[in-house]
Amino acid sequence: MSRHLSVSVALAAFVLVGGALAGFAADPPIPIGVSVAQTGPVALAGQEQVLGAQIAEEFFNKHGGVNGRPIKLVFQDGGSDEPTSINAFQNLINVAKVVGIMGPSLSQQAFAADPFAVRAKVPVIGPSNTAKGIPQIGEFVSRVSAPVAIVAPNAVKAAMEIDKNLKKVAVLYAQNDAFNKSETETFQQAVKDLKLDLATVQTFQTTDTDFTAQVTNVLNVKPDLVIISGLQVDGANLVKQLRDLGYKGLIVGGNGVNTAAIFPICKAKCDGILIAQAYSPAYKSRVNDEFKAVYKDKQKKDPPQFSAQAFTGIQVFVEALRALDKKSPIAKMDLATLRVELNRQLISGTYDTPLGEISFSTGPGMGGEIVQKQAYVAQIKMDPDGAKGTFVFVK
Amino acid sequence: MNRTLLLQQVLNGLAIGSVYAIFALGYTLIFSVLRIINFTHGAIFTLGAYATYALTGSQFGINGLLAGATLPFRLPFVLALLGGSVVAAICGVIVERLAFRPLRARGADPLLTLVSSLGVAVALVNVTQYLFGAEPYSYPDPLEALPAAVNFGTASAPVLVRTVQVVIFGVSMVVLVLLTYLMNATRTGKALRAVAEDTTTSSLLGIDTDRLVLLTFVISGFLGGVTGTLIGLSVGIAGPYFGIAFGLKGLAVIVLGGLGDIPGAVVGGLLIGLAEAFVPAQYIAYREAVPFALLFIVLLVRPQGLLGRAQVQKV
Repeated sequence: MSRHLSVSVALAAFVLVGGALAGFAADPPIPIGVSVAQTGPVALAGQEQVLGAQIAEEFFNKHGGVNGRPIKLVFQDGGSDEPTSINAFQNLINVAKVVGIMGPSLSQQAFAADPFAVRAKVPVIGPSNTAKGIPQIGEFVSRVSAPVAIVAPNAVKAAMEIDKNLKKVAVLYAQNDAFNKSETETFQQAVKDLKLDLATVQTFQTTDTDFTAQVTNVLNVKPDLVIISGLQVDGANLVKQLRDLGYKGLIVGGNGVNTAAIFPICKAKCDGILIAQAYSPAYKSRVNDEFKAVYKDKQKKDPPQFSAQAFTGIQVFVEALRALDKKSPIAKMDLATLRVELNRQLISGTYDTPLGEISFSTGPGMGGEIVQKQAYVAQIKMDPDGAKGTFVFVK
Repeated sequence: MNRTLLLQQVLNGLAIGSVYAIFALGYTLIFSVLRIINFTHGAIFTLGAYATYALTGSQFGINGLLAGATLPFRLPFVLALLGGSVVAAICGVIVERLAFRPLRARGADPLLTLVSSLGVAVALVNVTQYLFGAEPYSYPDPLEALPAAVNFGTASAPVLVRTVQVVIFGVSMVVLVLLTYLMNATRTGKALRAVAEDTTTSSLLGIDTDRLVLLTFVISGFLGGVTGTLIGLSVGIAGPYFGIAFGLKGLAVIVLGGLGDIPGAVVGGLLIGLAEAFVPAQYIAYREAVPFALLFIVLLVRPQGLLGRAQVQKV
């Protein structure tokens, strides 16, 4: 009898374990694509984004994934140019068969690669695409990066509060980059709206390293404020060369220089740059505190905006999947339906993220445009030896 | 244009041009001996800059395999520059052994050597990114005690040039003199010119061509290291692709000056720098087109470049 019992118990256990295994096998992780710049000149921002996304994957899987089913990020290098990002998108869509894609790093790449996702009806979340017209690419394109039109003018206003006599403004921008061209339009409009004198507009390329000619032209008009829209290395070099050649006034930087990665280039001369922010590590909320703690544990510093936005992108996907799964189980949907339903769900949700509370506005033929409650302006403060610096929030 | 502005633009042009010139010197040296374009020069230049950075005892960032690594010692900048340049010279030797010698031994078409050097350049850039990450670095500033800019004008009408650019100009002139001396006034230089003229004949005359080719790569690599460090001092090490950006411009410089002509590289570099500096502010977006437009015009008139010798076709 006892032998029969033990055989029965063993059989029952086998069936249970087998069933559990079968259940696990039936629920493989949900693949979410991440295509950011892991190589090329923008890799620096891309690496920050990879880190933010990895922290999100670990964090949300630890907190139950999508109602018990884990997510799995599929990374595909989007490079720093358009062809690489298009290739990465096509791979994620057709080979990895992801439910949605977070990426690419640059607005310029978004204009090239996102239409492929729109055609394949795959939801895309732009983590750092802030140029004008991104959600208008198509109804499957949303972004969690506040557009420059909303964020940028705050920095000019902060400069006017610091220097009450501020009048003459020089603007410089990288003319070979879609995002910086769009950002400078916003800055130039803000200068006009605020009744300031736009004394000169100078252009450069993101690949330039020598800005002597532009700096000479800027110094000739004796500005009180210089506004720079460039990427990290060119932007930081421009600041350095402006200071080397004697410019002492205020500097406002755009989103491209919004990273501690500029410190090694302009060192002590980075001091005082004002930059509008979509993220502040000082923002108090449970999710930001937890995100910040994990990031700090890994990197020994506060998270930058690029990492926070990447975390947010993955969070939006996960929370939208959770909400969708509760309405109608996603395991029963085929991939094409899941992608369309996920897109609909993510645009309609509200999310408590490290960036603050966000939701999306939308319109005919467009995806989700971020509606972000919080906006910040920070000023860079460097140690006198230029070895270390911090973003001090002034607004 | 008033006199102050004119002087400012001339000095700006010379400052930009000396960067191109110093980069192109290492490039043109290889061409002068081997008649091949060495695309690895930009990658070796970058590696040299990173090596100097490591030797100054500075710490690597957070993204590469060497994240957080630092050497247990700290060299003064000038010694680190020499050490970094030696590392670059060693890289030059490895590149010669791996990418050039096997092809030369088989008498391969120069085009294959060009492709091989391009392949090695891409590999080197990626190894650099793998080791050091993509973040920019800059050196502890050895010129800190000096003012950031030198005034070539008066107190009321200043004409300012960054001190580091004055240093780069000086170094490129010194390198020019040394290389010209080496090529024209030493036995090694004569042997190098003989190898450049005809490898087989010079080898029959008892010249160890392999050793001389190797020497050329050592000098070119060393120069790449010096250049990478000096330009890194001026604009920071912008990441693993740092040197590649100079490659195309360097090519324009050596073709303009005359392929393989050492003073030609300097003249070409300075001319392109001056041409760029005089692009009016409103057309500055087209500055990149200037060197190539200039190159086009010069090549129409003098296909051998400004200082190059016309090639005699052997029949």
